[in-house]
Amino acid sequence: MSLCDAEKTFILHGVAENFRSDGRDREGYRPIEIETDIVQHAFGSARLRLANTDILVAVKIEVDTPLPERPFEGKIEFFVDCSANATPDFEGRGGETLAIELSNILASAYKSPKTFNLKKLCILKGKKCWKLYVDILILECGGNLFDAVSLAVKAALFNTKVPLIKSVNIDGDNVELDVSDNVFDCERLDVTNAPVMVTVCKIGDNCVVDPNLAEEQCSVGSIVVAISQEYFSTVTSIGIGSLHAQTLCSSLELGQKVGIRLNEALMDTLSHITSDQDFGFLK
Amino acid sequence: MAEQYKSLHPAKYYRDHLKHDIRPDGRELSDFRPVVINVGSIKTADGSSIVKIGNTTVVCGIKAEISRPKADAATKGFLVPNVELSPVCSSKFKPGPPSDQAQVLTQIIADIVGNSQCINLEELCIFPDKIAWCLYADLICIDYDGSLIDACALALISCLKVVSLPEVSYDPSLDKQQVNLEKRTPINVNSVFVSTTFAIFDDKLILADPTVEEENLCTGTLTIVTCNDELCYVHKPGGSPLVDEQMSDCIEKCMNRSNSIKKLIKTAILENI
Amino acid sequence: MPVDHKRINGPEESVPYELFARLSGLTSEKAFEQLYKAGKRSDGREFEEHRKIFLKNGAVSQAKGSAYIEMGQTKVIVSVFDPREIPNRSDYSLKGELYCEFKFAPFSCAKRRLHQQDNEEKQYSCIMKKALESAVCLHELPNFQVDIYALVMHNDGSALSAAITAAGVALVEAGVPMYDIITSVTVGIQQGVKLVDPDSLEEQMCQVQFLSEKYQDNNHGLLIISKLHTQEQLCQFYQNGYVSLEVLKSGLEVLSKTCEVIVPLVQKCLIKHITNGIKS
Repeated sequence: MSLCDAEKTFILHGVAENFRSDGRDREGYRPIEIETDIVQHAFGSARLRLANTDILVAVKIEVDTPLPERPFEGKIEFFVDCSANATPDFEGRGGETLAIELSNILASAYKSPKTFNLKKLCILKGKKCWKLYVDILILECGGNLFDAVSLAVKAALFNTKVPLIKSVNIDGDNVELDVSDNVFDCERLDVTNAPVMVTVCKIGDNCVVDPNLAEEQCSVGSIVVAISQEYFSTVTSIGIGSLHAQTLCSSLELGQKVGIRLNEALMDTLSHITSDQDFGFLK
Repeated sequence: MAEQYKSLHPAKYYRDHLKHDIRPDGRELSDFRPVVINVGSIKTADGSSIVKIGNTTVVCGIKAEISRPKADAATKGFLVPNVELSPVCSSKFKPGPPSDQAQVLTQIIADIVGNSQCINLEELCIFPDKIAWCLYADLICIDYDGSLIDACALALISCLKVVSLPEVSYDPSLDKQQVNLEKRTPINVNSVFVSTTFAIFDDKLILADPTVEEENLCTGTLTIVTCNDELCYVHKPGGSPLVDEQMSDCIEKCMNRSNSIKKLIKTAILENI
Repeated sequence: MPVDHKRINGPEESVPYELFARLSGLTSEKAFEQLYKAGKRSDGREFEEHRKIFLKNGAVSQAKGSAYIEMGQTKVIVSVFDPREIPNRSDYSLKGELYCEFKFAPFSCAKRRLHQQDNEEKQYSCIMKKALESAVCLHELPNFQVDIYALVMHNDGSALSAAITAAGVALVEAGVPMYDIITSVTVGIQQGVKLVDPDSLEEQMCQVQFLSEKYQDNNHGLLIISKLHTQEQLCQFYQNGYVSLEVLKSGLEVLSKTCEVIVPLVQKCLIKHITNGIKS
């Protein structure tokens, strides 16, 4: 999408008046729809629509050996796939850099033990642990990917059921795990502290959250903040453009404020989802 | 003016110089470039060296890890040399898997190490069939200005000379190993190999220690590696043929150079300690 | 793992020997306690003091521009090559592009690195690209790509910052048009203590959360910024770990101040480069 100068000015003035082209204020999000448990073969899954952005996340679990230098910890790995259907830019290898950027930011945001405790995923010290494969599929790209992806990931992890282990048999170097036969015997993961990401975009002299594609074009610089409770787990600048230290500070403040609110809303929604609800692709 | 002449007619430019028995960088035909060796400056490696021959720079770092000997060589450890032509060193190399040149170079260095028997692999074994040392020697070129085999060989041998390994005690009954980081011992290096490259210009002139420009213009190269006053490896990948006289002349030069290089390695190591 | 046929492979499995050593090393918590009590760092620096920097341009004869930087033990070399047409692209782009590759040498870290770029290196390449993109006048290089390669020979902390500062100098030497001098600094945060330009042990210390009761402050993490000097613009900012807003803001201030300390060094290096150019 390319905008002419007049269109850009229109958006710029709207932001300055705190009344954006789609009627939101600067701190407002577009409607978000979320649905969990929609991929049957996965241990946990979620689908999220934020305006035209459409994300599907599935979590798979495998048994693995812990890293020798971290014997008490399980593993988590993020993999982002930018489907070529999402936007014409992703054709060929176009989506690759974005996919790497997204998975790196997620990995960095989930790295601190305060945000996501990998020790819970350890089965037997130094021998066995769970490894979570978080597969993120971007079905359609309508701006603000970082926020949408982080919310979908958090929802999918919330939905993830880790199988219960009945017993562990150790025979010399061999370890045998006995997984409970009942499929309903499972543990949920603790995701209260899992980070949500907020993209703060500087347009004109003001900062906005959840920019749409047109607004992203007018931005002079943007940062992504990952908020876990009121702490920052990752902050990174994205795209071309630079910010003054003062602007950065105010963007951080805005990001934190919105992040906390967003997290509350998400946790609230997730806690209301019951297992007997209808499900399907956003029915 | 000379700049333009050089870029328009590089071969002619060289021929004009060589007619007067001098090379564009001021050396005579059989002169070598100055050599600088620095050892032990990379503390994260178990042994390291940086070698400069003129502008050509190679960094070598050896990292030791513990592994299990192969079933068919139960009493041997491992020495794994790899040469990397990193994209840092020249615009010729792009990131990605090793280029053909890097693969050839890696194989040449591995052959030199094998032929010279400088390391007795059996000494790297800690307990037969159970545990052994594996030395990963990574050679990274950070400035590519010709005679790369010489620089790599020199970097590797001076690096091997300074490698020290911690003491390992192995208890076969418990199958447990204990490493004592405080007590480090150097490894035995039985022989020192020295490599010398020559370029053959216009099928007759022989230039010692060529730069990358000379390598590109020449009609053939010749690399001779000596070890303990014996020939250890000779690499002549096609190109202009040489007569016996020229060949023996090169070998003689190589022998002479090897003595001074050996002295240089010694002083470099002494200075480090 | 697939076998790499283009290199000489060692045994299928090998492990670092440090794993079998008697646990004598300091834990991060103990190391922090020592540091906190002494009020100084293990190498005698104040908390907010940068290590001495050695910066030299023209380290690689074959590159258009190059720089070598040493910060304490950290050694990084950066090369920049002539702009070339953007490969594999059919349409014309009005702006130029940068290609950055950040690589740790296999022997540069405590644990051996593999030859292929791992995720951390890819992320660092991304951050480096982001930082330099804002410093280079991309509109003056339409449809061209400038390749920038950084190789870490010895990683003793703050390697990314070192690479970005050095890349700025290398770009100048290569004659790439730029808006400003770019400098970059890392700071580590643990328990509210800010360690400017951390070495690798300190970096490690800032990545973990202390479990013992004494330490109630949850703040820990790393902050990296790159700054354009005259415009006072932050062209890149990266943080990880778990940090509160206040600490983040004060960290930012410390970083900005430290960047100013490095600028004269970069300027001196550039002036030397130019005067040498005039003399020859």
